[in-house]
Amino acid sequence: MAEQNNDKVYSEKARDFILLTGRANQPLAESIGKILKTGVTCPISIFSDGEIRVRIEPNLRRRKVFLIQSTSSPVNDHIMELALMADAARRANASEITAVIPYYGYARQDRKEMSRVPISSSAVASLLVNAGINRILTLDIHTEQTEGAISEPWDNVYGSYSLLPALKDRKMQNLVVASPDKGGFLRAAGYAKLLQAEGMAIAYKDRDLSVNNISETVNIIGEVKDKDVLLVDDMIDTAGTIVHAANFIKERGARSVRVAATHGLFSGEALKRISDSAIEEMIITDSIKPRQEVLNNKKISIVTVAPLIAEAIRRIRTGESISQALIL
Amino acid sequence: MQLFSGSSNKPLAEEIVKTLGTELSPIETMIFPDGERRVKLNTSVLEEDTVVIQSTNTPVDQNYIELFFIIDALKRSGAKSVTAVIPYLGYQRQDHVFRDGEVVSLEVMIRFLESLKVDKVIAFDLHSIKIPELFQIPITHLSALPLFAERIQSKAFNALVTDNPEEFLKDTILVSPDMGGLRRIEQMAEMLGNIPWIATVKDRDLQSGDISIKQFDGPLPPSELPGKRALIVDDMISSGGTMVQSAQLLKDNGVVSCDVFATHAIFSEEAPELLQDSNIDRVYVTDTVAVPEEKLFPKLHILSVVEMIAKALKA
Repeated sequence: MAEQNNDKVYSEKARDFILLTGRANQPLAESIGKILKTGVTCPISIFSDGEIRVRIEPNLRRRKVFLIQSTSSPVNDHIMELALMADAARRANASEITAVIPYYGYARQDRKEMSRVPISSSAVASLLVNAGINRILTLDIHTEQTEGAISEPWDNVYGSYSLLPALKDRKMQNLVVASPDKGGFLRAAGYAKLLQAEGMAIAYKDRDLSVNNISETVNIIGEVKDKDVLLVDDMIDTAGTIVHAANFIKERGARSVRVAATHGLFSGEALKRISDSAIEEMIITDSIKPRQEVLNNKKISIVTVAPLIAEAIRRIRTGESISQALIL
Repeated sequence: MQLFSGSSNKPLAEEIVKTLGTELSPIETMIFPDGERRVKLNTSVLEEDTVVIQSTNTPVDQNYIELFFIIDALKRSGAKSVTAVIPYLGYQRQDHVFRDGEVVSLEVMIRFLESLKVDKVIAFDLHSIKIPELFQIPITHLSALPLFAERIQSKAFNALVTDNPEEFLKDTILVSPDMGGLRRIEQMAEMLGNIPWIATVKDRDLQSGDISIKQFDGPLPPSELPGKRALIVDDMISSGGTMVQSAQLLKDNGVVSCDVFATHAIFSEEAPELLQDSNIDRVYVTDTVAVPEEKLFPKLHILSVVEMIAKALKA
């Protein structure tokens, strides 16, 4: 019955909302559109000198606009596409502009980790609000404090919602959920509870800030011998940390080591490292459009976050709670 | 005063500090494996007047974001003032809504510079005279036209163009490659003792972006073109198509030589090849945009705006 009502709403010509997408992850945007039974428009083209051009053809007057764009690599272009779409939507008299940012770039530059650096993630959020965005929806933002960079509403949902069914399917025995670093302990604890894990483990690493992306696993707390171990993290970038942790855990006698993470960046040597590692399977989401070599990697499985994001968009549109239903 | 350079035009920044008798303050840009960048100022700027030099030409988004991050770092580190020297201001051609549903990209950039609390902007030869009005913070709008006028009146240039340098300006005319550049061409004509000017008319297809130049406009009748030496003046050269078509039309109508003067060397697509192989005799640009080595070509001459920027910074 509820679905019939939805069909009626969506089939009306003047819907109260519209989905637009930048060029970062059009397949995900299309999937979200399919679930919400509406089309998705990409209003971006490029001038010969490389400048972005935005022209939104559909009528936006008094409509809620959702701009779907992951600010993944090339991060600066993707940020600017989003900001420029917001400006065009604002000028076209949209009633409300929500930036749907499944992967939020620069999220790790979230504080002054040393003197005289910018807080880049905050600067990007300000740029977006300045361009006309009224609300941000992210998926597993690296640090939730980033939400305080702006005074507009910022909803953050979690990849665990989409990953959990896939993880349960794996039927892991004597499951131990592990975090590859100290900072990820709470995330791991969340997964451990939802998966009714037998135990938890934490791998320690010391990261030297003056050296780029160099990390070393030094120790582990928790029993992993003869266990199926699931390492969880928010993102896989160069995969250095996670592979160190996985190999270490395997050496300690784990029966199997799997990895679950929301965002798959796979920069630099990541794919090779994963192939060569003790990791049995890595399960990620499509928050970042997977490159062909990611799809080809036999150890990597991808689950979609389209249903989660579509439901979050539906709830923002109708004014229903996000936290009650979507945050596990 | 401390001066910092972004990564888009280091050679220009280095010349500016040399002229000012100082050095660039240390700044470091780290590029992460995923392509994100982090800037870091390697000196204290507390209670200091600071300057950041960054053209926002291609890659425009990266150059703008880098500029924003440097300004954010300066402000968060307690700089007393921040002057942004943006010799070429990217997105300046998107300064109004051409068609319904379009973005005004330039305004997004300006509003954000303002929200970062930049105290002053210095820019060169903006595409439209109305652009400074979009700024709510002080902007110094400099022009390379005096630099071009000086070069045009120099003996060295005159000797290149004619055997009779004394008589050079007598048979020389100015050309605006489209009717949008009239103000620029009138200023230039005045600097050169009110020499005559003509414009070529550019038709642009808004859908495809293709241009065609087939006719003239302006005070000088086309019948007077034979035997004249033409100086085409514009704010920028992008793909070069406009310049080449304009020069072709001029030569078809009897002009004997054709030189181009344009402030910003955007040089997109195959511009260097197109210009070199055209019947343009010489191309003069400035260093507001750094021209990479692979885009240099024999007909190209680069004049420097360093002195003008140094003077504006001292003021």
